Amino acid sequence: MSAVTRPTRKVALAVAVLAVIGGMTACSSASPAPEGSGSTGGTLTTQFAGVPISLNPALGGSGGSAIFTSLPYDSLIYQTGDGELIPDLATDWTLSDDNTKLTLTLRDGVKFASGEVMDADAVKASLEYAIDAGGGNARYAGPVDSIEATADDTVEITYSSAYPDAPYYLTQYWSVGQIIGPDGLADPDSLLTSSDGTGQYSYSASDSVTGSTYTYVRNDDYFNPDAIQYDKVVVKVIGDPSAVSSAITTGQVDFGSASPTTAGSATAAGLDLVTAPFFTWGLTMADTQGAISPELKDPDVRKAIAMAIDRDSLANALDADFTHPNGQIGADGIDGYVDGFGFEYDVAKAKSLLADAGYPNGFELTVLTENILDSQTTISQAIAGDLGKIGITVNLEVKNSVPDFIQAALSKEYPALIWPVVGTNSAQVLTNFTQPGVTNPFGNTDPTLDDLYGQAQSSTDAAARSELYEQITKAANDVAWFAPVISTDNIFVVGSKVENVTASALNPNPMPQAPDAQYAWKHAAE
Amino acid sequence: MVRLIVNRLLLSIVLVVISSIAIFFLMSLVPGDPARSILGAAATPDSIERLRQQLGLDQPLLAQYGSWLLGALRGDLGESVFTGDQVVTLILARVPVTASLILLSTLVIAALGTALGLLSAVRGGVLGKVLDVVSLVGLALPSYWVAILLVALVAVALRIFPATGYFAFADDPGRWLLGLILPVAALSLGGVTIVAKQMRDSAMDVLARDYIRVLRATGVRESSIVLKHVLRNSALPSLTVVGLTVVGSLTGAVFVENVFVLPGLGTLVTQATTSHDLPVVLGVGVFFTLFVIVVNLAIDLLYGVLNPKVRVS
Repeated sequence: MSAVTRPTRKVALAVAVLAVIGGMTACSSASPAPEGSGSTGGTLTTQFAGVPISLNPALGGSGGSAIFTSLPYDSLIYQTGDGELIPDLATDWTLSDDNTKLTLTLRDGVKFASGEVMDADAVKASLEYAIDAGGGNARYAGPVDSIEATADDTVEITYSSAYPDAPYYLTQYWSVGQIIGPDGLADPDSLLTSSDGTGQYSYSASDSVTGSTYTYVRNDDYFNPDAIQYDKVVVKVIGDPSAVSSAITTGQVDFGSASPTTAGSATAAGLDLVTAPFFTWGLTMADTQGAISPELKDPDVRKAIAMAIDRDSLANALDADFTHPNGQIGADGIDGYVDGFGFEYDVAKAKSLLADAGYPNGFELTVLTENILDSQTTISQAIAGDLGKIGITVNLEVKNSVPDFIQAALSKEYPALIWPVVGTNSAQVLTNFTQPGVTNPFGNTDPTLDDLYGQAQSSTDAAARSELYEQITKAANDVAWFAPVISTDNIFVVGSKVENVTASALNPNPMPQAPDAQYAWKHAAE
Repeated sequence: MVRLIVNRLLLSIVLVVISSIAIFFLMSLVPGDPARSILGAAATPDSIERLRQQLGLDQPLLAQYGSWLLGALRGDLGESVFTGDQVVTLILARVPVTASLILLSTLVIAALGTALGLLSAVRGGVLGKVLDVVSLVGLALPSYWVAILLVALVAVALRIFPATGYFAFADDPGRWLLGLILPVAALSLGGVTIVAKQMRDSAMDVLARDYIRVLRATGVRESSIVLKHVLRNSALPSLTVVGLTVVGSLTGAVFVENVFVLPGLGTLVTQATTSHDLPVVLGVGVFFTLFVIVVNLAIDLLYGVLNPKVRVS
């Protein structure tokens, strides 16, 4: 008798345990989200790969990392996923004919989390604070000469030189445009544990775990309640692409970034991908004066290097779906991209150019790179291998962290380096090589490029400016400071409970909230 | 016993100072600059220098360390250079996660390892050989790899357990346990096999002793012999191994927490290390050092409980 009953009890116990586990699992995926498209409420859980640089918007990050501050802080202007600029705190804005003065008309009846009214004085104070706070993005405020509150609802920003991109840099992706309330400005340290913006959400420190989970709760005083789609937004910090993939596949996270490798498993699981051209990777030949590598002083040598790189093979090797061969400074889709233009792969011509320049047997070139970002190791090795075909021996100096790489790049000890550039038009991309920074440590300047850049900045006609952007693209290849290689997409995985996520070359970092509901992420139809 | 505890506490101060010196100067050798990490590639040299001064990074290394040590002796471990949060606050917020992981893992290692080892010693035969093989495999498999495998198979493919995340015990004990099952399994596998192997060898040694034969000859029940005599006498060496695996599981926890996205001390110290957040790295280092001291003290005290000879000495 007992021989029969004991196994039966064990089986029953096992079934009970599995039932409990199954029930608990079912509970774990349940979220109090409303059902179906068009409904609002519930929780949106999204992912970002790194911790926020700061929760104070003036010191925070740009691009995708702006999610930590753009949820609680409205920007003056909002950029949609398609790249269009639409009203946010500013209902209207105009640039003067010479692109040196931006006049913003502010929305009426908006209040900060503290209860203070958002007016011209508050915006002026916030803009001035962001410029002076010492954040890494302060430079994108532009050549600001003065900021004036000319009326309760009007702010005028005067620039010392033409700055046509001013409205773009006042969007939610840049620190300067996210407006902080007077109370927050009076006590900036308070912005690390609470928020004082006008945004759809308020930061909830009590529901957050620093470095891991950042929780934002609905702001019931938001100026357009109909635009709010979720009661709560949770941003989880998950750096490992595999963990991101697992979390989205199992429904624990609704949106997250992906690598080419994990994108495949996401699509196999029936999830949607949103992609947008982002980085252009290439070899920056910074030492154009030949201070360290005299060979790089010759433009023909630089062009030979650019022509020796087999872009198609590298793009295929990395991932043809999300990596695109590119022979010009900007990615396909940005303003100034020229169809069919770019450095061609021609080893024979590259060798000929090198021989004519006096280097028939090539030379040695030290190239700085790092091994953290995306596929940089593969790109670096491919460039080194291709340059070997024309006799140039590349000595790769690999850094193991981004800060270390930046420090080395600025040291002026490396004649060339591998690093991605990005911008929504070719003039923005060009500034990577004409303004001081990682990709221009030696302070290169070129009168033709400066002239074209100046013309583009001053131009008030969109078509004429686009034409100038294209000329910049071509002129950049003429000086050949940068040997572009590939463009890579930003890849995002969207869970089954979310829809209306858009991204483009002009805006490759989707954000969930928007001042107008038609641009916001929404609950997907069941 | 009191003297033992006092001695260990005194030793802990010395160890904390030594380990903090080691961490501080090793971190100073790591290339990179926190100010540059914070401000990014677009920052100007002026703004970087200004931030370096604000953070005290322009001071000589010895001065920086001295300042930290003085604060630490007062219980102030400083602030994160990134978030401005108190290091103590950051650590305390993460302790429940890592403590849950380590505690459950220790229980699994001790209970399952002991049971398997004892069973193998008593039953012998195929089970013993299987345990030998599994022990080797368990030792060879890194917890990080096991964690990824468990996520792919059990969480993503079978959807039995959550792939990532942590729930506080106070909020929902059921989801707390559910979320920790896979991480604990990944973290315990190696320890279970080591303890089982140690337990088996010790128990077989005890089983071969004369007094066991005498007990059997006098008619004492086998279960009583195993549980009262063999288990107690073979537990001491296993206890040492359990202690070592608990200390070793700190390292494993760093990896496992990252795979399962658990907001514990492992992920905190990983983020802090990659971003050159020295106060946080030092704070976690001090905490880990104290943890090792406490575990060793607990093992010594347990030795005394299990072995009267140790108590007397």
